Amino acid sequence: MLELRNLSKTYASGHPVLERLSWTFRAGEFVAIMGDSGVGKSTLLNLIAGLDQPDAAPDAASILLNGAAMSSLDDDAATRLRRARMGFIFQAFHVLPHLTLRQNVALPLLLNGLPDGRAGEMLGAVGLKGREHDYPHQLSGGEMQRVAIARALVHRPALVLADEPTGNLDPETAHAILQLLQTEIRASGACTIMVTHSPAAAAMADRVLRLTKQGLYETTAVNSGSQ
Amino acid sequence: MKAAHNPMPPPPPHSWSGWAFGIALIALVVASFATLPLKWAEFFTPDAVHSTLEFLHGFVPPESGSGFLRKTAIATGETLAMSALGTLLAVLGGMLLAIPGAGRFGRVPRAAVRAVLNVLRSIPELVWASILLIAAGLGPFAGTMALAAHTAGVLGRLFADALENAAPLPEQSLRSNGATPMAAFFYATLPQTLPQMLSYTLYRWENNIRAAAILGVVGAGGLGQMLKYHLSLFQMPRAATVVIAMLLLVALVDAVSFAMRRALTR
Repeated sequence: MLELRNLSKTYASGHPVLERLSWTFRAGEFVAIMGDSGVGKSTLLNLIAGLDQPDAAPDAASILLNGAAMSSLDDDAATRLRRARMGFIFQAFHVLPHLTLRQNVALPLLLNGLPDGRAGEMLGAVGLKGREHDYPHQLSGGEMQRVAIARALVHRPALVLADEPTGNLDPETAHAILQLLQTEIRASGACTIMVTHSPAAAAMADRVLRLTKQGLYETTAVNSGSQ
Repeated sequence: MKAAHNPMPPPPPHSWSGWAFGIALIALVVASFATLPLKWAEFFTPDAVHSTLEFLHGFVPPESGSGFLRKTAIATGETLAMSALGTLLAVLGGMLLAIPGAGRFGRVPRAAVRAVLNVLRSIPELVWASILLIAAGLGPFAGTMALAAHTAGVLGRLFADALENAAPLPEQSLRSNGATPMAAFFYATLPQTLPQMLSYTLYRWENNIRAAAILGVVGAGGLGQMLKYHLSLFQMPRAATVVIAMLLLVALVDAVSFAMRRALTR
C-alpha cells in the first residue's frame, strides 16, 4: 500500500538523519514507530506526507502510495494527493479556534469539494454528538484530539499519519483516545502510521517499528523504548 | 517555626549601554533647550497674557445662526467622509501590500514592499496633501488621497507585522491536510489576525478624523478649510463654531471607535 525505497534525508546543516530506509506498509494496518528523540521520526512522516523531499539519491529513492510515486510529484500534485488520500493527527491538535467543531471536521470535505453531511456523523462517532456548534475553546485537550481524529478520518483517507497524538494528554485520556483511534481506523480501513514515544500508545498498534540510525526494524518489546 | 532565610539570587548585571543611552538622552534634551530660542519669560508677561485673553474673548459667543450651522454640518460631514474613505482606501492598499510585506512571496518582494511602505508613511499627510493638491486641485479629493497614502503605509506595515507574527501551526496544519496556500491563508492566518487588524484600522480612523480637520487648512476641504477661511477674516465667533464642531466630531468618533474595539477584543 505504502512503500518506502532507499529513502535518505540530510538536514540543511549537512547532518544525515535517514539513510537508505526501505519498508512496506500494508493497507488497513496500524503501525507505531518508536525511536529516540532526533532520530528522524517526524521527518519520516513529513517525507511520507510529501511535506518534505528526500535526498536526490542515485539509486532512485522513492515513496509509492498504491503504486504511484509520490516523491516525483510537484507541490500542487502533492497537495492534491494529501487532500484526497491522507489524514493527519498532531500532538497539539491544530484545531482552528474560530471555527465550530462541525466546521473544523468538515474542512477536509470542503477542501475536496464533497458534501459536508459526514462531519456531524463523525463527531457523533468520536463521542461529541450534540456539540457541533461549540467552539474549540469550550473543549478539554482530550475532546480536541477527538475532533482532530474525526477531521483526519472524515474524508475516508487511505493513509492516516499521527505525530505523537497523545503527547499532550494525561494517561487516562490518552488511553481513551487511542482506543477511539483504533476503533475508527479499523472501521475506515485506513493504513495508520503513528509516531510515538509512549510504550502504552505503541502497544495499541498492530505492529511496532523502531527507527534507529541503522534503519527501521520490527520489534515487540515496546516497553524498552525511550521515554 | 521561622522559615529559613533564602537570599535572593543576585540581579542580572546592568549593561553599560543602558546607562550610556540614558545619559545621551538627557544631554540631547538639555542641548535642545539650550539651542532653541525659547522665550518663556516673554510668553508670560502681563502684555502677552492680556492680548491672549483678548484674542480668546473674540471667540465668544460662537456663531449659532441656522445658515452657518447648516454650512458647518455639511463641512463636518465632508471631514467625516474624507476620513472614512481615506481609511477604507488605506485598508485596501495596506492589505494588498501587507501580504508580500509579510514575506509570503519571498525575501526580495518583502524588502521591496517594506521600503515602499516606509516611504508612504514617512511622508506626513500634510505633505501628501500639498503634493496631491497640485495634481488634483483644491477640495476633499486631494485630502482623501493624502490620508489614504499615509495611512496605507502605516496600516500596511502593521498588517504585515501581524501576519508575520500569527501562529504558524494552524496554517501548517491546513497545508498538511492538502489545503492550497491561499485557502490555508484565508482559513487559518487571516482569521487569527483580523481582530488585530480591525483594531488598528479603527485607531487609524480616529487619527484620520483629526488629520482630516487639519488637512482642510491647506485647501483639502471640510472643517479645516472653513476654519482657515474664517480665521483669516478674523471672524472669531464663526471660527469658534467650527472648532466646537471639530471637537464634537473627534469625541464622537473616539467613542464609537473605543466601543467597537472593546467589542472586538472581548
